Amino acid sequence: MDSSISTEKSDVAIAAHAAHAHEEDHAGNSMFGFIVFLLSESVIFLSFFAGYILLKTTTPDWLPAGVSGLEVSKPAINTVVLVSSSFVAYFAERALKQNNLLVFRLLWLLTMAMGIYFLAGQAIEWSELEFGFGDGVYGGMFYLLTGFHGLHVLTGVLLMGIMLAKSFVPNNYAGGHTGVDATSLFWHFVDVIWIILFVLIYIWQ
Amino acid sequence: MTNVPVEGIKIPDIAHPEPQNNWRKYFSFSTDHKVIGIQYLVTSFVFFLIGGLLSMVIRAELITPPADLIDRTLYNSMFTMHGTIMIFLWIFPSLVGLANYLVPLMIGARDMAFPRLNAAAFWMVPVFGILLMTSYFLPSGTAQAGWWSYPPVSTQNPTDSVITGEFIWILAVAISGVSSIMGAVNFVTTIVRMRAPGMTYFRMPAYVWTVLSAQLIQLAALPALTAGAIMLLFDAAAGTAFFNPEKGGNPVLFQHFFWFYSHPAVYVMVLPIFGVFSEIFPVYSRKPLFGYKVVAVSSLLISGVSVLVWVHHMYASGTPGWMRMLFMASTMLVAVPTGIKVFAWVATIWKGKLRLDTPMLFCLGALLMFVFAGVTGVMLASVPIDIHVNNTYFVVGHFHYIVFGTITMGMFAALYHWFPKMTGRMYFEGLGKVHFILAFIGTNLCFLPMHLAGLHGMVRRVSSYDPEFAFSNVLASLGGFLLGMSTIPFILNMVGSWAQGKPAPDNPWRAIGLEWLVSSPPPVENFEALPIVVSGPYGYGKSDPLVENAAALKEG
Amino acid sequence: MNLKTIIGIGAYVAVLIAASLWVGQQAYGWLPPQATAESMLIDDLFSLFSTIGAFVLLGIAGVVLYTVFTQSVSRFDTSDGPHMEGNIKLEIVWTAIPLLLVFFLAGYSYQTYQQMAVRGPMDLVHLHHLPGSTPTAYAAEMETEPVEEVEVYAKQWAWTFRYPDTGVVSSDLHLPVNRRIRLLMTADEVIHGFYVPAFRLKQDIMPKRVTEFEFTPIREGTYRLNDSQFSGTYFAIMKANVVVESPESYRQWLASAAAQPAVPAENPAYSEYTNKRLKRFGGWKTVEPATPPLVNAISES
Ligand code: HEA
Ligand code: HEA
Ligand code: CUA
Ligand SMILES: [Cu+2]
Repeated sequence: MDSSISTEKSDVAIAAHAAHAHEEDHAGNSMFGFIVFLLSESVIFLSFFAGYILLKTTTPDWLPAGVSGLEVSKPAINTVVLVSSSFVAYFAERALKQNNLLVFRLLWLLTMAMGIYFLAGQAIEWSELEFGFGDGVYGGMFYLLTGFHGLHVLTGVLLMGIMLAKSFVPNNYAGGHTGVDATSLFWHFVDVIWIILFVLIYIWQ
Repeated sequence: MTNVPVEGIKIPDIAHPEPQNNWRKYFSFSTDHKVIGIQYLVTSFVFFLIGGLLSMVIRAELITPPADLIDRTLYNSMFTMHGTIMIFLWIFPSLVGLANYLVPLMIGARDMAFPRLNAAAFWMVPVFGILLMTSYFLPSGTAQAGWWSYPPVSTQNPTDSVITGEFIWILAVAISGVSSIMGAVNFVTTIVRMRAPGMTYFRMPAYVWTVLSAQLIQLAALPALTAGAIMLLFDAAAGTAFFNPEKGGNPVLFQHFFWFYSHPAVYVMVLPIFGVFSEIFPVYSRKPLFGYKVVAVSSLLISGVSVLVWVHHMYASGTPGWMRMLFMASTMLVAVPTGIKVFAWVATIWKGKLRLDTPMLFCLGALLMFVFAGVTGVMLASVPIDIHVNNTYFVVGHFHYIVFGTITMGMFAALYHWFPKMTGRMYFEGLGKVHFILAFIGTNLCFLPMHLAGLHGMVRRVSSYDPEFAFSNVLASLGGFLLGMSTIPFILNMVGSWAQGKPAPDNPWRAIGLEWLVSSPPPVENFEALPIVVSGPYGYGKSDPLVENAAALKEG
Repeated sequence: MNLKTIIGIGAYVAVLIAASLWVGQQAYGWLPPQATAESMLIDDLFSLFSTIGAFVLLGIAGVVLYTVFTQSVSRFDTSDGPHMEGNIKLEIVWTAIPLLLVFFLAGYSYQTYQQMAVRGPMDLVHLHHLPGSTPTAYAAEMETEPVEEVEVYAKQWAWTFRYPDTGVVSSDLHLPVNRRIRLLMTADEVIHGFYVPAFRLKQDIMPKRVTEFEFTPIREGTYRLNDSQFSGTYFAIMKANVVVESPESYRQWLASAAAQPAVPAENPAYSEYTNKRLKRFGGWKTVEPATPPLVNAISES
């Protein structure tokens, strides 16, 4: 930063800037705005994580009475499914860039299915747990984190649904694939969050 | 959602009649950033009057030591709603409004990057404003736990209903947060990607830098408050135990969430006003902003440090010693980049040719009061001193010198300065000066004695107090009423001038800046052709052109 | 820089220094009586901050007002000022000086804090998880000095003080002068704050935890204890008297109180809540005040 304080931008740079004609680049704006938004959104998760760590390390009776911990194997399978879905989404996106609509739709649908599988697994896990939202700090934190994340997974699946439907609109991708790019970015984001969450809640017991 | 009567709630945006233009556009879902900017400004000003009215009741109660005017629950509601309305419905939206109006014009863009998002973000303001006001009609009354809403007080519920004032308060703050994030994404995108050709970062007016810095803070810190609010809502309404010590929760965690945002938030509020100073001092001193680049970059430095100081609000909360020391040092460090700005402004007016028009008067007054507030701020940062004055009127005095003495005064300066641009009319200079004099005397009379009361140990948030504090409080109340009166010439001026002021030329102040190159008020898409910027923003005392194509910017 | 400007600046700074030193002395007068050892340290620190603060404020205000009164021109004058864009040397100076000042102020505050910690270990505020847990090793070391322990109970909206040795419960806080005091503070439902302006000390009291707090009163007299952390409807009247007295009269008071039967204390919050004749505007349902505590020694004022 210091160097740019003292040196005036060269005329070349100005000309290049002018050539960019930023004003017209709506898709670029949208993607940029969306990334900014995701960065900000991640702070909510970071805050929850920080709260979780603080409460876990300072609360005397962390687990509610009669609860010994969480079962890890099923959520681990769920994790594998969710994380691999990110790769599927990536290949879907690539297929779209190569204008291979059919492959895109198939892979995209597969990603959605994996997301739904994850949500279902989550729902089953919730229904089998012997503690509830109001059971101490632990119960609250568990449902808060998994629920808030689950909501994001659901949003991701719905967004993908919209993108899938739109892919049947003729000439939909003539102006670029910002929608699909953004959705798949969102999906990766949801995945990364899950990995941290999984480590915090299931591994670090 | 609630069974609350809605009669008697004012629609908060009474736009002033505008002769040439169609005034109806101010009531519609317009996506023009200039219309939205004015919608924000007018809406927030109405809430300023409401928040101010509540503070008048506070000062009326406090003019005598016993609690003889209003019930204690009502008093607690008064300062809670006063603080909340002033911050979330006056300062934030008015600053966003000003930035909405100015930023695209100043960087040479035709609009914000996401016009519809912009409009949606604005319309949330009246929505949560009215939502918040409905809590007056709830059987439980409004929120009464202060604007910090610390649990467990905030989650105590003496009624049977889940829908309490506190519940509404949390919802309103959450919606405000969503609106602010939408705005922040929009501003950052606009500033980074929509600058006109030749408008490099170091040719942007300092105001744009401050807006960028402030909005980056919003993005980085506001989500923490959202997280805290979500957890508080569950504690209050769903029986969770995050902050409930009865069930093992930790109330101090909420304090961290709250201040992790609400401390940086004070710089979100003050930075754009710093920007206003940086614009107005050069114009009315006819000199370039002194050390422009350093002033510009210091905004980012302030943003950076601001997210690392929040614990200074919690020295007395049982924070460990090392934490107190660390945050003491980081807090005091903010004085350095802020000092750079202050000295730069002083150097800007030094040897200038000063015109003491209303905007300049407001800026000069606000600058002096800001330095005073900064000095008391540094005292508060010192742990041993803060241990004594924390939660006393010393703190109340400190922050009103900023929120009123600096930010609100600075906002008035901005409104007067850009009024001709926004409305195409000149304001009445005489009324403006009367406004300034009343406001300046009122602020000092109201908030200076508070420091003394605080040093002697008068605790804040009380509706009755020991008689030894009576004298300071009488002065403060008189000053407060004077401040209330000071809004009258302002309102008269704005309404009167908008209706029948002299028509304004494009550039009545001979100011340098893209917004002054187009007509007053500017046309819908701002520029006929995009400006091609060829020089820096403060060429006073020199006659270089600002743009290559000045003639092409305007129609005709 | 010519000689004239140097002399001018010199004279300005000299006047500023004189004025700020005067303000720094005035600062002692803005504070309540010094009733603890800690308060003297804090007052000195405050005086220092006031001196430097006055220097900064007056220095800037002087330049601004001077400029306003000498440089104003008619609004119809269209001339411009000199085109000065900046001055690197000057900018370095006004970055470096505040930086040094800030380091100095932070360092000095730290030192004061340390001195307070020696006499009153404020960073020894332990957040024990429940009443009765063992004090830390550091706290135990300090016990060489004789310490007077008092338990402090805060609830909505009453203070009670219990003297563990005698079992006396009181609604006034009596303390012997010149003795190290250790308070063991707990709250019932919400956060309260222990604040005696004359002591310059303040500490939040967390519900369900014991917060320790130490200091040394050095001046006899009756002082005000305030609740300093907003605690709901009757927060404003949650007060108590603190009586600092000679060790002899303190013992006497303890002995006579121990002989008294426990009776309900006078409690302003409770009486205001039950007083239906109180006429004030408005009002909503409130959390009920706890019933007045039973005490051996009721308030004297
Ligand atoms: C909105 C704007 C705003 C701004 C800009 C500031 C600026 C500062 N504030 Fe303030 N503050 C508030 C709003 C603001 N504050 C509010 C609303 C509260 C209370 C909330 C509540 O409790 O309800 C509060 C409370 C508050 C506290 C907590 C007190 C308590 O509750 O016990 C502290 C403590 O450190 C503090 C410190 C500071 C400091 C160090 C600055 C610094 O940024 C000031 C820096 C500026 C200067 C120092 C002047 C210029 C500098 C120079 C001329 C250089 C040379 C100077 C020196 C070396 C001293 N503030
Ligand atoms: C952010 C901006 C802001 C602004 C601008 C103000 C402005 C004012 N404030 Fe406020 N204040 C806060 C933010 C602000 N305040 C906050 C955050 C708190 C802390 C709350 C808490 O503890 O939780 C607080 C607390 C606070 C207290 C402490 C209460 C307590 O602790 O018990 C007091 C006491 O005097 C006070 C007074 C005033 C006064 C006299 C003004 C004056 O400047 C206002 C002047 C008024 C006007 C200019 C409007 C006049 C209007 C009319 C006369 C009627 C016309 C109206 C209609 C037609 C609707 N404020
Ligand atoms: Cu009692 Cu706070
Ligand atoms: Cu702060």
